[in-house]
Amino acid sequence: MESASLPTQDLGRRRRATSVLTSDVVLGALGILSFAALWWYGHQKTTFVPSFGEVLDAVPSFLTEEAIWPDIFASTTRVVGALALACVVGFLAALLMARGRFWGLVTARYVDLALGLPSTIAALLALFIFKRSEVGVFVVVAIATFPFIALTLRQGFLSANKQLDDMADVYRFRPLMRVRNVFLPHLVPYSLAAIRNEYAHAWRVVVLAELFAVNSGIGWRFAQAFDRFQLVEVALWLLTFMVVLLGSEYLILRPVEKWALRWRGDA
Amino acid sequence: MSPGFIHVEGLQVSYDGDRLAVAGIDMDVGEGDFVAVLGPSGCGKSTLLQVLSGLLKPVAGKATIAGTDVTRNGGGADRDPRVGYVFQDHRLLPWRTVAQNIELVLAAARVPRDEWDARIERLLAMLQISQFKDSWPMRLSGGQRQRVSIARALAIDPAVVLMDEPFSTLDEVTGRLLRQQLVELWQQQRRAIVFVTHSIREAIFLADRIVILTKGPARVLETLQVPIERPRQYEDPAITELESEIVDRVMSAWGYEQDAGHVKTPPVGSS
Repeated sequence: MESASLPTQDLGRRRRATSVLTSDVVLGALGILSFAALWWYGHQKTTFVPSFGEVLDAVPSFLTEEAIWPDIFASTTRVVGALALACVVGFLAALLMARGRFWGLVTARYVDLALGLPSTIAALLALFIFKRSEVGVFVVVAIATFPFIALTLRQGFLSANKQLDDMADVYRFRPLMRVRNVFLPHLVPYSLAAIRNEYAHAWRVVVLAELFAVNSGIGWRFAQAFDRFQLVEVALWLLTFMVVLLGSEYLILRPVEKWALRWRGDA
Repeated sequence: MSPGFIHVEGLQVSYDGDRLAVAGIDMDVGEGDFVAVLGPSGCGKSTLLQVLSGLLKPVAGKATIAGTDVTRNGGGADRDPRVGYVFQDHRLLPWRTVAQNIELVLAAARVPRDEWDARIERLLAMLQISQFKDSWPMRLSGGQRQRVSIARALAIDPAVVLMDEPFSTLDEVTGRLLRQQLVELWQQQRRAIVFVTHSIREAIFLADRIVILTKGPARVLETLQVPIERPRQYEDPAITELESEIVDRVMSAWGYEQDAGHVKTPPVGSS
C-alpha cells in the first residue's frame, strides 16, 4: 500500500508558510522604515514636509473630527462601486475578446484605446462631460481600470482547461453545473489577480478624480488642505489614504484571496 | 458472460476529416469482461475510448453499449448506460475536495442525494484513501489522485469503465499496487472494463482478453485470450513468456524490424 505522506507534506508546508510570513513581516518593516527615512529626509531638506512630531500631535484631533469619516466613506464607496462596474465591463469585454470574432476585434480596439488613455485626461474629459458629479468619478475609474481587468480575464478565458471540459462531457455535467464547478472556479485566480491589481489603481484614480470633480472624499479634502497650505493636514490625509489602502489590502483582499485559493498546494 | 455488451463494428474516426486516426476496429466485450486494448503510442487507442464515451463521433461504423448506439446520442440518452472514465491524468477538479469531486458526478448522474455519503465512504475505503476524503487533489500524490479518479468512475455505478493508460505516469511500485487493487475491485464488482495500454505486461496481468491494434491508423491485428489463471503475479514467468510471444507477433505490425535478435526502430515519420 502506498504510504500516505501527509504529515511530512504538512510539516514542509508549515515551514514554508512560516518562512513566507517572516519575510512578509521583515519586508513590511523595511518598507515602513524606508518611508520614515524619506519623510525625515524631506523634512530636513524642504519646508513643505512637516515633522513627525507635528503630524503625530495632530492625529488625535484629526481622528475625533466627525467630518473625516463621511469623506473616507465616500471615497471607499466610489472605489468599490466603480471597481464593481469595471469588473462587469471587463468581464464582458474579456468574453468578447476571447470568444467573439468581429465584436471581439472591435472590443479589443476599445480596450487598447482605454489602455493608452492617461487617467488625468480621462478625469478632465469626465469633468467636461458630466460636470461635477458622482457619475463622472465612476466613469473615470471604470475607464481607467476595466482594460486591465479585461486583459487579465481574457487570459483566463483563453486558458480554459479542455481536459476538464472533456471530463465534464463524459460525466454529463449539466450547463449550470459546468459553469459553477468548472468554468467559474478556473476564472477565480485571474479575477482575484485583476481585482487586487486594479484596487490600488482605482484608489489612485478616485483620489485624482475627486480633486476635480466632486466636493467630498479624500482627494477633495487633500486638495482643500493643499490650497490652504495646511501641510500637517495634507500629511494626515496622505497617511489616511495609505492606511485605508493598505488596511483593506491586508485585512480584506489578501485573506479573501487566501481563502478562495486554499485548494492550491502553495496556499 | 454475454458477448456484445459492448459492440464495436467497422469503426473509423478522423480528426480532420481527411486522415483516419482509426481505420477499422471491430470488437466485442461481454458484460463483466476485462478487456485490454494494446497498441503502440499514438495508434488511436484513446480515440476508441473517446468514441465509446461519446466524446468523439466516428466517420463510419457503430459502437453500442448495452444495445444503445453511443455514436449517435453521445453516450446514451440521459446517461443510460452510464460510463465511468479513468483518464491518463486524473482530471480531478483541483478546487473541489476529493468527496466533492465524487459528489459532482453523482449529482450529474442523478443518483439520489441520500445515497451519496454511503457510496463515497465505501469506495474510498475500498481504494484505501478514506483519510483523504476532505483533502484537495493538489495535496495528494499521483497514485492517490488516480485512486480518487477510479472511485469517481465507479461511484455512478457504471455499466462500463473505460480506462486510458491510468497508471502510465505513476512510479513502478505505485503502478503495481494500483493494478493489483484494480483486479481486486473488478473481481468484486464484475463490471465491463476496457483498459487501454501500450504495456504488454500490464495488459496480460490485468485482462482476460487482449485486443491488439496495429500502429496508427488503428486496425485490429488480433484478439487473444489470456490463458493464465488468476490470481496472477506481475513477475510470473508465464506472463514473461506470453509477453515475449506477443512482442514477436506485433514487432513488424508496430513498425519494428527484428534482425538476429537486434531490434531496429522505425524511421522517423514512418507512420
